[in-house]
Amino acid sequence: MAKELSEGGAKVILLEAGKHILPNELLTHKWPYELPYRGLRGEKQALYYQGDVQKSVRYEDSDGIEVDRIRVVGGRTVHWNAVTLRYAARDFREWSLNGIEDDWPLSYDELAPYYERIEAMIGVCGQDDGLEILPGGSHYLPPLPWRCSERILQRTLKPMGIAVIPVRKAVLTRPFDHRPACHYCGHCMDGCDVGAVFNSATAMIPKAQATGNFTLRQNALAREILVDREGRARAVSFVDTTTKKEETVKARIVAVCCATIESARLLLNSRSPQHPNGLANSSGVVGRYLHGHLGGGVQFYLEELESLKPANQDGATDHAFVPRYNHLSGKPDYVGGWDFQVNFSSYMYPRHATRIPGYGADFKARVRRMQTGYLMMGSFGKVVARPENRVTVDPNRQDAHGIPIAVVHFRFGDNDLALWRDTVKSIREIGGHLKGQMFLDSSQQPGGFASHEVGTVRMGSDPKKSALNGHCQAHEVKNLFVTDGSAFPTSSEKNPTLTIMALSLRAADYIKEQRRQGDL
Amino acid sequence: MERRTAIKIVALSALAPRLGTARAIAFDCPMPKATAWTPAAYKLQFFSEAENDLLDGLMEMIIPADSHSPGAHAAQVSRFADLMVATSDDTTQSHWRSGLALLREEARKSSLSDALAQAAAHSETPHSALGRFFVTLKQMTVNGYYTSEIGIHQDLEYVGNTYLAVFPGCDHPEHQ
Repeated sequence: MAKELSEGGAKVILLEAGKHILPNELLTHKWPYELPYRGLRGEKQALYYQGDVQKSVRYEDSDGIEVDRIRVVGGRTVHWNAVTLRYAARDFREWSLNGIEDDWPLSYDELAPYYERIEAMIGVCGQDDGLEILPGGSHYLPPLPWRCSERILQRTLKPMGIAVIPVRKAVLTRPFDHRPACHYCGHCMDGCDVGAVFNSATAMIPKAQATGNFTLRQNALAREILVDREGRARAVSFVDTTTKKEETVKARIVAVCCATIESARLLLNSRSPQHPNGLANSSGVVGRYLHGHLGGGVQFYLEELESLKPANQDGATDHAFVPRYNHLSGKPDYVGGWDFQVNFSSYMYPRHATRIPGYGADFKARVRRMQTGYLMMGSFGKVVARPENRVTVDPNRQDAHGIPIAVVHFRFGDNDLALWRDTVKSIREIGGHLKGQMFLDSSQQPGGFASHEVGTVRMGSDPKKSALNGHCQAHEVKNLFVTDGSAFPTSSEKNPTLTIMALSLRAADYIKEQRRQGDL
Repeated sequence: MERRTAIKIVALSALAPRLGTARAIAFDCPMPKATAWTPAAYKLQFFSEAENDLLDGLMEMIIPADSHSPGAHAAQVSRFADLMVATSDDTTQSHWRSGLALLREEARKSSLSDALAQAAAHSETPHSALGRFFVTLKQMTVNGYYTSEIGIHQDLEYVGNTYLAVFPGCDHPEHQ
């Protein structure tokens, strides 16, 4: 958004609550024994969770979920696995097709040109597999080569009618846009020190800075969006977290992109006589419909790969992907599906060592023998957007800067749990066809949200049931845009980031067009 | 090897003529192994020397030295455990202290190896303090050993965390 608008000639200031992490500050390639706690206490990723952000949230009446509270220039893109999937046409039409939730106020066909543009802009490897459930584009970099375990997975799932395809992710398999190709160290989630994994701090912000129209303000924690007499956004009040100084920046247009929990928190904390329920919230939906992915991990140890000479399997974490398949064989008694990301966890640590019984020489030899057979899959399933799942703010509890904290309320619903039960059943069936041992992380309860929380400032065509229109523009505050996952009215099993980026690009085009016409 | 040198090699290798399989042109440049945290210089913060000796013995029984690689004693896993427990909450610390005392008590009745075997046998029993402690002890031993230089490089012979110019994909006919 900032890059697009500054390239379009607008003067843009980006207020970022975190600071910019330089590549030489990353601990990406550190060995565990070079870190005091061996990396087991999140030392490698602690850089991204700055300040008291993790403390400024409370969970009330919630199932086992966790929201991601990253705070750094570049946001989630500095610390992600970079899987970039287009939503399918059906994913925009839950109400029309399944009679639940709502339709999006835009269609796949309307968003497709923006998917195409963003894929070409950020560099996505993979291919168009011709699947209705996972539409493809035409700008892919070469797919990542597969490991032995991924070939075996494909060979095994094919007779079950389940496809395994090359993953689509924003990882460079050849030099692209002045960034080098991936060096296959397997540390994408720890931060890519060369920028081969797309992150907006490395790949987009320098382009914005090159325009001369862009100012990056780090350590600037937004307190409130201030409004004029007519209730339009006029300025943002923020605190510099290093100097504690309170400041205000005026703006003709404000775009909020703080991630789902924080965006809702900011709007709910922006109360005024014109907006007593929080900014752009006369409908009362801001903060509601919180959802994300449900899922869990499963580890397989394949017999035919046991006891091999260890090879370097790190790669770019996941190289293969299992798209949704439950819609291909009859209609289940719930709505939605799941997919699997494959092999996105590290090959360094033997996860089975605490899960196989015993100890001693035999145990040690068994751990070693099994390690080369490692194959993992993580399921990502649809969660239904329900109004009772929500983010509120607690005026009686404030963060270190006096800003009311976010309170998260979330329970999985019947549809979610039915989908999870079917996911587990399917995992067990797959496990039955793979020769080796299987360890499920959890079969009783799903986890959420895999950092994919969305929905709290939803878009829609009815202003009574939504806060934004299809251009991410607030229905009742025309110069306010919300361009992160909180705009999603519903979600599918697919990772949300590519859709967030495409929506953001579309919103930027809309802003430019509206400005040209003098309507904004 | 300096990071810059490694990147240069990657860049050069990208220009290299293709020599048969991708595997043949994949450069393998291990990251520097400078150890920031040196167990040898470590001073105990939580366990007493006697507790550490006991812990060291138990951990070596869980992951012993064998003909393939050294075990938990050589990897100084008990010292790693000391750091982790010293920086944990009171409940965790008390669990460790009482767990070690329980095992010592059991060992007095027969031997340390019998006591550990008994603890392992009870590890599936949630109401057994001895069994619960075995789970904790094994978890710590696994964590400490397989994140140590010995565990990673000598035992598992992990060869990743490197710069590769090309990722060698699977071309084994039997896996297709």
